[in-house]
Amino acid sequence: MLPRLLLLLSLVTLICTGSTVTESAHAQAVPSEIKIGTLYASSGPFASISMPVYDSLKMWVDQTNAAGGAFVKPYNKKLPIKLISYDDQSSTATAATLYNQLITQDKVDLLISDSGSVLTSVAVPIAREHKMFLFDVSGTGGTFFSKDNPYIALMADPVSTIWPKYIADFLDSTGVAEGIKTVAILYATNDFTTTQANAVRGFIKAAGKLQIVYDQGVPTSTSNYTVLINNIANTNPDAVLHLGYVGNDIAFFRNLQDSGQKFRFVFGIYPGEEQEGLTKNVGVAGLTNVFSYVPPSSYHYTPNLGMTLDEFHAAWEKAHPSGSGVEFGANAIYGYMTGLVLERTLATTESMDQMAIHNAVFALSGKLKTLDGTFAVDEMGAQTGEITPLGQLQADGNGGLNLVVVYPPDLVTGKPIIGK
Amino acid sequence: MLFGALCAGLVFGLYFTLVGLGLNLIFGVMRIVNLAHGDFIMLGGFAAYFLFYLLGLHPLVAALVVMVVFFLVGLPIYYITVPRLLLARDSEMLSVILFFGLSQVIEALTSIAFGTTERSIPGRILGTGPVIILGQRLPSAWVYGAAVSAVATAAVYLYLYRTRLGTLTRAVMVSRDEALATGIDVPRVSAIAFGIGIALAGIAGVFAPFMLGSVTPSIGTQINIAAFAVIVVGTLGNPLGTVVGGIIYGVSLMLMQTYLSSWAELLPNLMLIGVLMIRPEGLFGRKTRRA
Repeated sequence: MLPRLLLLLSLVTLICTGSTVTESAHAQAVPSEIKIGTLYASSGPFASISMPVYDSLKMWVDQTNAAGGAFVKPYNKKLPIKLISYDDQSSTATAATLYNQLITQDKVDLLISDSGSVLTSVAVPIAREHKMFLFDVSGTGGTFFSKDNPYIALMADPVSTIWPKYIADFLDSTGVAEGIKTVAILYATNDFTTTQANAVRGFIKAAGKLQIVYDQGVPTSTSNYTVLINNIANTNPDAVLHLGYVGNDIAFFRNLQDSGQKFRFVFGIYPGEEQEGLTKNVGVAGLTNVFSYVPPSSYHYTPNLGMTLDEFHAAWEKAHPSGSGVEFGANAIYGYMTGLVLERTLATTESMDQMAIHNAVFALSGKLKTLDGTFAVDEMGAQTGEITPLGQLQADGNGGLNLVVVYPPDLVTGKPIIGK
Repeated sequence: MLFGALCAGLVFGLYFTLVGLGLNLIFGVMRIVNLAHGDFIMLGGFAAYFLFYLLGLHPLVAALVVMVVFFLVGLPIYYITVPRLLLARDSEMLSVILFFGLSQVIEALTSIAFGTTERSIPGRILGTGPVIILGQRLPSAWVYGAAVSAVATAAVYLYLYRTRLGTLTRAVMVSRDEALATGIDVPRVSAIAFGIGIALAGIAGVFAPFMLGSVTPSIGTQINIAAFAVIVVGTLGNPLGTVVGGIIYGVSLMLMQTYLSSWAELLPNLMLIGVLMIRPEGLFGRKTRRA
């Protein structure tokens, strides 16, 4: 009897002790905060696209923490967010060091890349090497995404290869009907715009309806386009596609206006993407009837998570009054939108393991709708849900410009004006 | 296309003469390398921006205001930094470090104060439509920039060769020690030259929003590289050689954009390497640098 009683007592003790140990271990495993690491560029050529993203990400962190933190499913409780961020000053070399620091020294739970393809390009191999999932805000270069790399997903912008699809489709349909026959392509030689140039060239050649008469790349640092515009004019194109960053677009459209050259169809990426900033720098006259992408800052998508466009714009203006040096535009939305993906990921992931994070992000595909449109990624993590409709900046009758959608047909909000 | 590139390069290069002129004057007189030169140009651009939007000043008027203010700002900067630098055994090398630091400080403070977004002034302020020169269409702002550069260069020439202070400045450029020995007030002459160099950078900055599309706090570095290419080609320490250096830079850049556009970014570096390997003293240099 005694041995059996001792055995029973031992078992009870073991179970109790085990339970205590498990509870203790579980309690210790719950962190005091979720560490999110990111980089931003306060100076250099990418500052103007990086700072709005960073500021709006901080807005999301502040809002989330004010509400008691983000719900983290593996711990079944809300935890405050700690944003660990460093300034890469638009330098890829500095960024590479700092991405490593975030992963190996700061041991962040989630990693977000800096804005744009150039500063994301160094994050992709580093994240992959450390098996760290990369929340790629707006690094849209097509080469970032491959079937053998599960450690990346593009958040807020579609992959560059599909951006210009609507440009080519519009030119091949409406453009050809209006008599457009020849196209000039001028692009900045970086991942973002080179990928778009390759894509649009491919679309145009595949359709076979238009002839490309000028196709040149220029360094991203290019700040004067007068000779290039004159060279383009010498080839007599009907349509001119300029693919560059904000600074490139400002210089290009100012030089185009100053040169007096006219083309029937002129496209630029940022007149629509950063309409406020471009209008200030180029002026209304220089942007009238220019075609551009229609970003989420100019189109009211219906979200099922987070603020609407109007609510976000009001919150942004409150935090960044006019003259603060950080403009409202598409990039301002991208940081906040990335925060929303993080929020849903933390709320649905089975664990904080990076592959579980991957699974949680990919499970959101097609289900999450924000002010940026529908979040949808393909099997490689490339964003395919948030589309880039083709728009045109048209005079609004009050001395300003209105960005109307001219393609695709199901989103159209106005008729295109093609020059004579 | 070749003739168009040559015409545009000539006009654009004249502006880059102004970009490099102040840097070369300071180096010629004091043998110090002002790595913050591009940042003073950037500040000139910001000054023009705010003078236009806050006071409605035309860029040509702003250029006069900036010239005076930057000259006055240059004097205390000179007295705080340069005399101590010149006491060092290797003042040229130390100046690189000191002014690199100053450059970083200026860029950081400007970013904090005004943000990082691009800023520019409407091009129509300097005339609408292009100017036709030899059948080539050029932005009127370029013609203004080139004209102001020509005036500034002529003024520097007159200062150096037609005034007593200019004669003293050239004496310092030839030999600082001999100038001191002959009783020239070298610190005063140098301070004025430093102020003029900063003022020239400020004037170049006023036209930067028109010539470079826009200004941001970070453009200083890129401008510096171009400015160094211009003055190395035109001979370090020879302010008037900067004219030829600027034109060569402008024409080469436009030819690169026309025929090898993807490689245009390499041009300043290629020019620096080429000149330093083939003719280190520059096109107008002698075996020893002289005024």
